[in-house]
Amino acid sequence: MFEISGLLLTPVFTGLTVWGIRNKQLCEWIHLFGSVLTVIFGLKIAYFVFTGTPFSAWNDFIYIDALSAFNISITMLVSLTAALYSIGYIRHELHDNTITGEQFHRYYLWYHFFIVSMLGVSVTNNIGFLWVAIELTTLVSALLVGFYQRGTSLEAAWKYLIMGSVGIAFALLGIILLYISGIDVLGEEHQALNWTVLNHVASMLNPQWMTLAFIFILVGFGTKAGFAPMHFWLPDAHSQAPSPISAVLSGVLLNTAFYGILRIYVIANQTLGASVHTWLLGFGLLSVAITVPFILVQHDLKRMLAYSSVEHMGIITLGIGIGGPLGIYGALLHMFNHSMTKSLLFLAAGNLNQVYHSKRMDRILGMIKTTPVTGILFVIAIFAITGLPPFNLFVSEFTIMLAGFRENSMWASILFIIFIGFIFAGMLFYTMKMAFGQTPLKVKPKPLSKWSTTALFIPLIFVIGFGIYVPSFMTDILNQVALILKGAGR
Amino acid sequence: MWIQSIATSLLVSTFLLFLTRRITTAVKILSLQSFILTISVGIVWQITGISHFLIAAILTLIIKAVIIPTILYVTIIKIDVKREVEGLINPYTSLIAAIMLSLFAFYLTIHLNLPHSDFGKPYLPVSLSMIFLGAFIMIVHKKALLQGIGLIVMENGLFLIAMSLGFGMPIFIEMGIFFDLLVTVVIIGMFSYRIHSTFESLNTENLQNLKG
Repeated sequence: MFEISGLLLTPVFTGLTVWGIRNKQLCEWIHLFGSVLTVIFGLKIAYFVFTGTPFSAWNDFIYIDALSAFNISITMLVSLTAALYSIGYIRHELHDNTITGEQFHRYYLWYHFFIVSMLGVSVTNNIGFLWVAIELTTLVSALLVGFYQRGTSLEAAWKYLIMGSVGIAFALLGIILLYISGIDVLGEEHQALNWTVLNHVASMLNPQWMTLAFIFILVGFGTKAGFAPMHFWLPDAHSQAPSPISAVLSGVLLNTAFYGILRIYVIANQTLGASVHTWLLGFGLLSVAITVPFILVQHDLKRMLAYSSVEHMGIITLGIGIGGPLGIYGALLHMFNHSMTKSLLFLAAGNLNQVYHSKRMDRILGMIKTTPVTGILFVIAIFAITGLPPFNLFVSEFTIMLAGFRENSMWASILFIIFIGFIFAGMLFYTMKMAFGQTPLKVKPKPLSKWSTTALFIPLIFVIGFGIYVPSFMTDILNQVALILKGAGR
Repeated sequence: MWIQSIATSLLVSTFLLFLTRRITTAVKILSLQSFILTISVGIVWQITGISHFLIAAILTLIIKAVIIPTILYVTIIKIDVKREVEGLINPYTSLIAAIMLSLFAFYLTIHLNLPHSDFGKPYLPVSLSMIFLGAFIMIVHKKALLQGIGLIVMENGLFLIAMSLGFGMPIFIEMGIFFDLLVTVVIIGMFSYRIHSTFESLNTENLQNLKG
């Protein structure tokens, strides 16, 4: 009870305070304190839920089970990293006169509002409110995407705002249909949008309305989760946003939208059965396939990483679509691993961007010599993201592939291997050129803030650690979440 | 009878958006549409006596018929766009396409066999048309602000469909949706202003630098 209020109110107060106070150094400390406090509240709640029972409050309006707690944990880890990193990054931008003093305060205000909107998605029991919170994430993050106020960032922000809002409008249509099928069974009942309630009556819902609802919600939230062919906003938004925001967008926002899909999936799976999996499988494979040509011909570093996010959301969806214990386990592990690795990559890319003053990969050459720490971490993370052993994503991708062979989706696994083979070749080709090329003469290596390099080590722990072995507490958590996805949670 | 004519006028107001030449007129039509929506919710409240429809009607009137058009209007005055609305295709072609789309919506509602409340039947095809046409407005118009108007038409359609399928969404969710819409419009206004000051035009054709 206390923790939940703390979790939701701390970011709001931190944001407002940092916006109100004019002393920049004090602001940074308050930002740091607020972020750490939020993380403590979040992880404490997650710990309670994982070791005990689901947590509900405010007349069942708030309901946190293992799936929500899992999403909260990812949010907290990525936001802690991004919060530490932001200090160095924003200081550098301010020093370079890229942003004004006013923007400095606005950045932290919106950053904290962004975090709380995503937490709102994870903690609510009500699918209608989940929609409201997801729409809020779009609004706040659109402001952050357009933060630099250049022509290109305005373009990205506009495209994101419009595509996100239209997508989510279709999701609302789906939710209305879901509500109708709910009150059809339960009668006039204001809790007919609570998924704990819907979950109990899932097998009695009208399958025809449920099919429509599921498709609309899948397309709507899928737009925000970056599914092809609704992904066009994603590379623009991720490449134009400030790097810590790109990390949060990729590491948390996509997962949060996907969390919305998972909640509906649990209900639809019981009402409709196998056809749900076909849809997920289709969207998953299409998202992986569509990124191949874009990654192979990419010039912009952050766009390449963004397309890779589309690919990995596709892989997660593919894992859920394949289903079975192994598929679900692999998909969930992949969700976690992708968040860690991709946030590390975006943050490292932010450092490179600030050192080389460019996002073009043909200008970022010889990074290992110019910025050894960032350069080496970037190469490690690229190895991880392309699925090389012994890193974390290899484990989860291998599990999903194996699940495909076991659950009679052999063709899906084979296509999957072919696609990631191409992506591996493309990404590694560009990275090797960046790592060992001849540094352009005009680049003067400037020392990066210690905040910007230290923060990279938090996700690195998981990138390396979970590659070597998945600890038993993690397996336990994933099994709890998998149980909920089967509809047997509680 | 009442309901029939209100449903028709909602549809007509959406069609009018395709014929307007000026952005200011489009905003006025939008305000009119939201006002008709208020009346339709008010009538439902009269019939059913459920208080949450009264709250929904008041919110629609204040937010959708007054505040949102005002924000859009102020934005237009501030950036001083008096020029005509430009579509990708000419207004009559787009009107014909719009009529086809709403015929499709009527066809869908007949075949989908959706549930509806007693008063909701005439609204169903209209609300579906409004959702389709809102999306269509966003596609055919070049001006950034009109894309915002398309979004609000979609939102009006969604509000109407929720009301005609059942009893509307629970009121606190409805409030959340209103809040989101309001923030969206504020941000659309802000971005339109910035797009105009950066490119000296509101045309989204300028927003095509990011590719690949």
